[in-house]
Amino acid sequence: MEKDGSLLDDYVLSLVEAPRPRVCFLPTASGDADHYVVRFYRRFSSGCDASHVSLFRRDQGTGGVEDDLATHLLGQDLIYVGGGNVVSMLGAWRAHGLDEILRKAWRKGVLLCGPSAGSLCWFEQALSAFHGAPQPVRGLGLLPYSNCVHYDAEPERRAEYHRFVGDGMRDGFAVEDGVGLHFRGTSLLRVVSSRPDGRAYLVQAGKQGVVETRLESSDLGARPSAPPPQTRAHEPVAA
Amino acid sequence: MIFAMGGGGFTMEPANPLLDDFVLSLARVEEPRVLFLPTASGDTTGQINAFKARFTDRACVPECLSLFRLRDSTRTLEETVLAHDILYVGGGSMRNLLAIWHAHGLDSLLVQAWREGRVLAGLSAGAMCWFQAGVTRSSGPPEPIAGLGLLEGSLTVHADGEPERLPVWLAGVRDGTLPGGWSLDDGVGLLFRGEQLERIVSSRPGASAQRVDAIAGELVRHRLEPELLQSDGPGRLTGDDEAVQELRRVHLLRRGIRSAGG
Repeated sequence: MEKDGSLLDDYVLSLVEAPRPRVCFLPTASGDADHYVVRFYRRFSSGCDASHVSLFRRDQGTGGVEDDLATHLLGQDLIYVGGGNVVSMLGAWRAHGLDEILRKAWRKGVLLCGPSAGSLCWFEQALSAFHGAPQPVRGLGLLPYSNCVHYDAEPERRAEYHRFVGDGMRDGFAVEDGVGLHFRGTSLLRVVSSRPDGRAYLVQAGKQGVVETRLESSDLGARPSAPPPQTRAHEPVAA
Repeated sequence: MIFAMGGGGFTMEPANPLLDDFVLSLARVEEPRVLFLPTASGDTTGQINAFKARFTDRACVPECLSLFRLRDSTRTLEETVLAHDILYVGGGSMRNLLAIWHAHGLDSLLVQAWREGRVLAGLSAGAMCWFQAGVTRSSGPPEPIAGLGLLEGSLTVHADGEPERLPVWLAGVRDGTLPGGWSLDDGVGLLFRGEQLERIVSSRPGASAQRVDAIAGELVRHRLEPELLQSDGPGRLTGDDEAVQELRRVHLLRRGIRSAGG
């Protein structure tokens, strides 16, 4: 749903085998911004059973799914987490028990995906720059790595991430806009990009300092008929 | 000081500035810096616009603090919060409000701001949050919820506008799951100096408050009559006069200096 992100959305949908996938949107990181919810339905409601969960409008009956959040989320094929502020999102999730529900959903084999905050949240640690200097944030920890997004968007981001990894943050993945990491279980299966020049890196602390290794990625635009890999369970896709 | 409103102010009373002018009058300085925290709503555009519409032309320096919108800020939360004289908290989901503040460490910053003498103001979720407990509809049906506990007792809001909270609150006070406290109609605010209730004010004739306690398992209820606030309150600059023009120029200048200074 992001700018130039429709190829990534298509890729995620291609991983779901159901003819009409059940897709639930969590716009928490944006404060459940109306325009984002509308964009989600525009993008997904034609081919999917689309729904969303709002944690801010539950008193007004406009919170999308109202009743049993756990049952609803565990019955999805795909849970799509929107971008925004990862710290606010994780705080609100904990208050409503969504952190535990999402862990269960992952173990059950529900596909989890999202850009930006919707990527950072699945990792053990993440780098978040919001108010003041960048800070390490503890995510849900499904993936035992760290994650840094918008790697190309800000000039200082690379140096900051390297500094944190050098200072003890877990080794992890740095990802440019338009690029997605596809994990099966906790193993990286594939790097996909909606742009020809989109890059992702593995960033590791070594004896001689921090080492950055560029990961091979598939350009989704160049291979419109790329066959989806045969996959089922345990697959966060972080864009 | 804490000013807790049962409802009212710029998000609920766009045509009635009495409560907001009262909030401005609580600051020690003539032109206070006011920080709006729309966290409980998820930082909705509606609340932010209503804040700007109310305070832009008043004798204050208004600013919004978003915990969702990704606008780059070089200032830390601490620098932002402690640079203000008044912290004004909007309504919405109290459960989300407290959880998100806690995730950012903002709850302890606000406590510090209060202890250092700044004014904490708010309505609905932004009013109940300062007490030991409130009644929230964050998950749909009304239910008791713990607050930050700066003020003793419980608070329930919108007593006239959303009467379904009242029975839940009264039952909680009666059976001891909630401490005794206040219920406020829309438009009514309690002013606490330190932890002491000092004034009860209202922007609407007929709106009222009540104090309820459980004594030996029985509810004891006292109706409290608020002072009706008068118009032409302090702080308001009206009309298209020179003072307003000058104030706007000063605001613009200050913003320029702040951004230039990083």
